[in-house]
This record gives sequence, C-alpha cells and structure tokens, in this order.
Amino acid sequence: MSETACNQGELVESAKRTAFNKAHHDLGAKMLAFAGWDLPIWYTSALDEHRAVRSGTGMFDVSHMGRIRLTGKRVGNFINKIVTRPVERIPLGSGQLCLLLVEDGGILDDLWVYQIGADDYLLVWNACNFELKYDWILEWAANDSGVIINNVTEDTFMLAVQGPKASRMKTLESVSQLPRFGFMETDVGGIRVIVARTGYTGEDGYEIMGDAASALSLWQLFLEQGVVPCGLGARDSLRLEAGMMLYGQDMDRSTNPFEAGLGWLVDLDGSEFIGKSALLKIKQRGITRKLIGFQMKERGIARHGHRILKDGKDVGMVTSGGLAPSLGVNIGMGYVPVEMVNIGTELEIVIREKPVAAEIVSRRFYRNGGMK
Amino acid sequence: MNPKEYKYTKDNEWIFFESDGVGRIGITDYAQAHLGDVVFLELGSVGTEVSQFGKIGEIESVKAVSDLFTPVSGTVTEINQKAVDKPSLVNTDPYGDGWLVKLEISNPTELDALMSSDEYEQLTSH
Repeated sequence: MSETACNQGELVESAKRTAFNKAHHDLGAKMLAFAGWDLPIWYTSALDEHRAVRSGTGMFDVSHMGRIRLTGKRVGNFINKIVTRPVERIPLGSGQLCLLLVEDGGILDDLWVYQIGADDYLLVWNACNFELKYDWILEWAANDSGVIINNVTEDTFMLAVQGPKASRMKTLESVSQLPRFGFMETDVGGIRVIVARTGYTGEDGYEIMGDAASALSLWQLFLEQGVVPCGLGARDSLRLEAGMMLYGQDMDRSTNPFEAGLGWLVDLDGSEFIGKSALLKIKQRGITRKLIGFQMKERGIARHGHRILKDGKDVGMVTSGGLAPSLGVNIGMGYVPVEMVNIGTELEIVIREKPVAAEIVSRRFYRNGGMK
Repeated sequence: MNPKEYKYTKDNEWIFFESDGVGRIGITDYAQAHLGDVVFLELGSVGTEVSQFGKIGEIESVKAVSDLFTPVSGTVTEINQKAVDKPSLVNTDPYGDGWLVKLEISNPTELDALMSSDEYEQLTSH
C-alpha cells in the first residue's frame, strides 16, 4: 500500500471533471489539476475570494471530495470497525467527523459520517488518495454480503456555500435553522439535496450535495444571487487561517491522532476499530511531538517542507504556511517536540536558506464571533 | 497592453529607461496574471551589483515563489518600498506603481538582447 501524491500541479488532460466544470471554464477561472481533478485555483483573485467569504457569501466546488454510500444489514458494525467513533454516538440529525486509521494508528484520512436512514450511511472524505482508501474499505468489507459499498462521487455534486451571510439567503431559508454539523434532506431552488451545516473556512455555511445533473442550475441560482465563486487558493488560505488541517500536508499516515491534536475524534471507550490497539499503546507511552501554530515575526512566508529551528537546531518541519489575508500576518503550522509547544516560544523557520524569526501562537489564528 | 516604450525579457520582466542611465524594472501584466495575487517581495538591497539575466529578487504569490531576473547589468539604486509594503501593486499596476527596482545601467548595448513590446506580445499570445 503506498500513498500517491495529493499535490496540485499544472493542468493535465486526463484530469476528471466535476459537474460544475463548464461553469469554471465559462467564468475563465485559472484551472489546475488537484488530486486528479480539473479545478479552479481562482477565478479573478484568491485574496478577493478569501475576503468575500469572510464578509459575505462565497461558493466552492468541492465535488472532488469522495462520497461513498454504505448500505446493508451489517453496515453499522462495519463502519464502527473502520472509523474512530462508533455510529451509535452520532448525534441525531447530525454528521460525525472521525478518522480512518491504519493498524499502526497512522491517519489515512479524516471524514464525515452521515446516517441517511436505517442501515444507510454516507461517508465524505478527502479527494487525496481516493483509490487507496476505497480499496482499503473494500478489502475490509470483502466477503461480507451485509455491506454494500457504492462510490457516488461522480454521480453527485458537492457545493460549499460559506460566509456570514449564507444563512440569510432566501434560497437557503429551509436550512437556516440547522444546528452546526446538522444535516437534512430538503429542496434548494427546487432541487432535491442533502445539506449539512459544515465547512472548511472558519465561517458559518453549508455543504450541499445532490444529483450531478442538477449541479449547474444550482450554481447559476447562487451566482445570480451574488454568491462569489471561490477557488482552491481561497479555500486553502481560509482553512489555514481558521487553524484547520489539510490531509496530506498537516497529517498523513506517519502522523497519529494525538500529535495532530485530533484525540477528540477518537473514541477509545467504544467498540474495536482498526488502529485502536496501537492508539492505546501510543496513549500510554505518550507523544513526542505536537502540531503547533506559529506567526512570523520577521518578513517571510513559511511553506510546507520548510525546516523549523529552535536555538539554531533542527526541531521540526512546517506542514502548512502562508499569508493570513484577514489578519495581515504570515502564519503556519508544523510539528515540534512536545517540550517546546508553549505559546510564545520563539522559533526560526528556514526560508530559502535563511532563518526567519517566528513565534508559537494559538492555532485558531482567526476566530469568527459570528460562528454558529 | 504592454507599453511600447518598454523592453521585455522572455522571463516576463520589463525595463524602462528613465533618464541618466537609470532603468526601472518590473514584471509584465502577463506574469502577474499567471502568478496570481502577489503577497511577498524580496528585492535585495541598494548598492548590489547585478549582471544581465541574473537573479535580483523573489516574488511570492498565493500559488508559488518565482525568481526575479534583471534584464540588464548594473547597480541597484532604488527599491520600490511601496510595493514591498503593498505587494498587490504588482497585480493592479505592473507597469506603473508596481515597479520593483531601479538600476544604474552599466552596459547599454545589452538592450539589444531584449524584446520590443510587439515581439513580447507574440511570445505570450499563445
């Protein structure tokens, strides 16, 4: 089993197209291949799109995220075996964020589990390493006729509508009372969809899933209402500013949930799941490094892969970094030894051979008072 | 449109001769559109001697870090501090307020190796 690159690259002919692909090209978006999908990095300006989500409403085509429908008599037990929180603990009418682990406790992905009906679940996971994860669950479900696995990613769309004004839109009135992480099946603009009050921006907002054939008419409806199309550039700066992690950068199979600060997604008191015995051992032994947030104190932008120094010695690596457009400072995340994770600790980031001063700060760089 | 009175490189820089052997350097509109929002500039220091097509700085956009090369040899006489403080000027006005450095040019004949606006437009039109 090996991980493939989830990196973004220049456009490739073979990249898959989401149900919104035509809309991106019609708007003249700058496109790139991301995890094998032809997606917009920005339409006009990543910074303007970032600001639109912080102050108004923006929409993102997130149809590249994997959507897997799981049904069958033994599906609940099966999900309990592969994810870190049992389905019995899913709050009624809500989705549950959890992790997919390998046997040694390394993270294979973070994902949402939604219960659609009796013995009927939807998993939503990252686009990165889709085949690997899909093969992984197929393997664990092998020979179990009580579990039916259906990849619905390419038959459906997923659109994230995000921003402080999203819940005030007339079109989204039917879901304005959803609690955070809640979801429901409803009509939006006359289209049957599943709407979850979730997102990846640090703002209030929704993620809407429906039949691929309806995607463009919903897009058009939001466009006419002034919702700003946003690309992957803004998506990345928004999530970083909100302190949210990106799989493949801030965590991967070499990371365990505790050092990534994701212990809250793991239920060690519940049922047995893949990786649980490894996690119990790690918990007993204790962790050696931890994910921290930092802010640059001198000029420079930290990026994934840059070295972190403490008193001139190598202590870790930057996993994500960039400009925080809403804060006007340069920020980042990375792993450092547990004995130096205190807020205010002075570090240096090696940016193109030059050590540049940084300081550990709370990973919730941007806090939105309006978050529901 | 690319100003007629400027000269261009295949690395998407431009140079304009101001007066007294001083050239003003920046990146083209094509380059800024390709890079996306510029968020950081590293432009070295005044007094540095540079040779033609050598690296004189770095431009970082939301997407990537790119090297900035000088179209001609010379000595850096000025850095556009306004652009350093507000890198978005490179996007909004690449041929005006978004200029990057000024050079005292040491060898004016190097100009012959640069492109006219027509030639540059041909290069970037496909």
